[in-house]
Amino acid sequence: MYKKIGIVGDKDSILPFMALGLEVVAVTNEMEARIGIDRLAKEAYPVIFVTEPVAQMVPETIKRYDNVAIPGIILIPSNQGTLGIGKERIRENVEKAVGQNIL
Amino acid sequence: MKEGKIIKVSGPLVVANGMEDANIQDVCHVGTDRLIGEIIEMRGDEASIQVYEETSGIGPGDPVISSGEPLSVELGPGLIASMFDGIQRPLDTFMKLANSDFLVKGVETVALERETEWTFKPTVAVGDQVVAGDIIGEVPETKVISHKIMVPYGVKGTVKSIEEGTFKVEDTVYVLETEDGDKAFNMIQKWPVRRGRPIAEKLNPKEPMMTGQRVVDTFFPVVKGGAAAVPGPFGAGKTVVQHQIAKWGDAEIVIYVGCGERGNEMTDVLNEFPELIDPKTGESIMERTVLIANTSNMPVAAREASIYTGITIAEYFRDMGYSVAIMADSTSRWAEALREMSGRLEEMPGDEGYPAYLGSRIAEYYERAGKAISLGQQGREGSVTAIGAVSPPGGDISEPVTQSTLRIVKVFWGLDATLAQQRHFPSINWLNSYSLYLTEVGDYLNEAVDPSWAAMVQEAMTILQEEANLDEIVRLVGIDSLSEKDRLTLEVAKSIREDYLQQNAFDDVDTFTSREKQFLMLRLILAFRSISLRALDLGAYLDEVLEGTIELRDRIARSKYIPEAEISKIEQIQKDLQVKVEEIIEKGGLQHD
Repeated sequence: MYKKIGIVGDKDSILPFMALGLEVVAVTNEMEARIGIDRLAKEAYPVIFVTEPVAQMVPETIKRYDNVAIPGIILIPSNQGTLGIGKERIRENVEKAVGQNIL
Repeated sequence: MKEGKIIKVSGPLVVANGMEDANIQDVCHVGTDRLIGEIIEMRGDEASIQVYEETSGIGPGDPVISSGEPLSVELGPGLIASMFDGIQRPLDTFMKLANSDFLVKGVETVALERETEWTFKPTVAVGDQVVAGDIIGEVPETKVISHKIMVPYGVKGTVKSIEEGTFKVEDTVYVLETEDGDKAFNMIQKWPVRRGRPIAEKLNPKEPMMTGQRVVDTFFPVVKGGAAAVPGPFGAGKTVVQHQIAKWGDAEIVIYVGCGERGNEMTDVLNEFPELIDPKTGESIMERTVLIANTSNMPVAAREASIYTGITIAEYFRDMGYSVAIMADSTSRWAEALREMSGRLEEMPGDEGYPAYLGSRIAEYYERAGKAISLGQQGREGSVTAIGAVSPPGGDISEPVTQSTLRIVKVFWGLDATLAQQRHFPSINWLNSYSLYLTEVGDYLNEAVDPSWAAMVQEAMTILQEEANLDEIVRLVGIDSLSEKDRLTLEVAKSIREDYLQQNAFDDVDTFTSREKQFLMLRLILAFRSISLRALDLGAYLDEVLEGTIELRDRIARSKYIPEAEISKIEQIQKDLQVKVEEIIEKGGLQHD
């Protein structure tokens, strides 16, 4: 069974992913970001990439999917460079999973 | 009749010989004090007698005289608002005669006050044919109860004379011309307590008895003519539940049997009942109540009789066409009285020392409840609803009295010590209580209140059951693991528990809830659920919904304190809720569907 990958972020950062066949959702403000992520989650996209600046706008929405298997929300840097929060999240999750920081 | 001689005394049990003329269940006068007793076993000429009074000071050789009659109660005007002991001796007369606050032995009284004058109004004319059970006249006994004078069982004939006027209970009020000549009758009937009064036909009860208690009326209703048991450990609130039903139940007559419980509880009844106003009649509820008291320090054998005395009086009013409720608090003390007598009779004990016939005795009592058509040419429909408290030691309902009771009754209100500790009153456990009348009552209320009643009750019950399941998950892995819908279910279940099921018996408004108010309250809580579910579907977050409705949820919680006259306010809350949640959805930037 094939499932698609979704990506949410500002237009400049995510447009290249269209070439790879990802579902691209360009957002400019908090409300759009929330609706976009919730829509992709509802349509059962197993993986949703979200750019870091957008994720910072909607922490509540990101948190909602923390405890569910699908979708997995993965933060990626935007074209402005990384903020480090994506990597921080991965580090935290790994620590929770294996019990210590192995990265 | 031949006089017997006592050969053995063992507490309330007296054995006498020389009693070959007597029959089982005859009332005897024991000793020189003429204590009242009843024969419960015969072996040859030896009779075992349970004595309804204290037996100190009597010994072998004392005389025993059988009256040749079974233990009977007097039925007639003067029953209502009286307080009797277990063998129908009026306690206020008793106090005057004995000049003591406690039962003094050997005092003989009559059950019904002989000197009171009653206004009698005939309802038949001279020359009318009457049969047993026919009403021949009425006496306005209290402002709300018209006492109907009926032709006694086994009599039929033509009315020869009947008069209107004021009479004492023993005065002749009518004369019947029967097959064996003319017979004069007064207003008193006698009936042996251990025999059910005959009826023409037993009916299937369907109409619920509204008690004004939300958990009872909504989830575990009892019908008029049904039987219910209230088992619960000490301090769980059995007595308060019984009192509440006695106060607010919509039965026309209430018989309250205080059987082996604390004397102060009867005092509470005596203090509170006269002050309470029946919402239906506007009169004091004492005007429809008969009290029978055999408190824990009164003779144990009379406890055994008190239950039968109570139900016989109940049946008498049922025959008049009234709906009667009889509360017995508590049947465990009564079973213990049976056990004590059984032990002294040296019978083979059954479970936990109770006699082997415990189950059949309990069944005998509860089976006298029911809805019936009385004897007579125009049968009247009346009902007796029996509600018995059971006090299982340690709250363990697997003991014999509770189990024998549950085999017969169709409603089980299980009181829970944990709930009582959490101050959740009435502490009726919604998970293990049941009512087998739910379908009948659901159909009835669907017509009487609203067509959605039964479905709503079902939905609310399902939510409470889901909560129990979810609670286990929460305990294992924490609340974060639940989906938003499950968390909403928990929130709604909490609302049903705290805002609906909990009811304060000592609050003036909350103590009674009419069925219309119950409907509106339950609908409001369920509306909160459906409105919130829709908001979640449209993309609102649960936290936002909960935060936005704090003030409204508080109003839902306080809706139980809205007086009956202003119940339209509850509908207003529902409208406000709808508007508020629409606002929340819009704030989430989402479109209406």
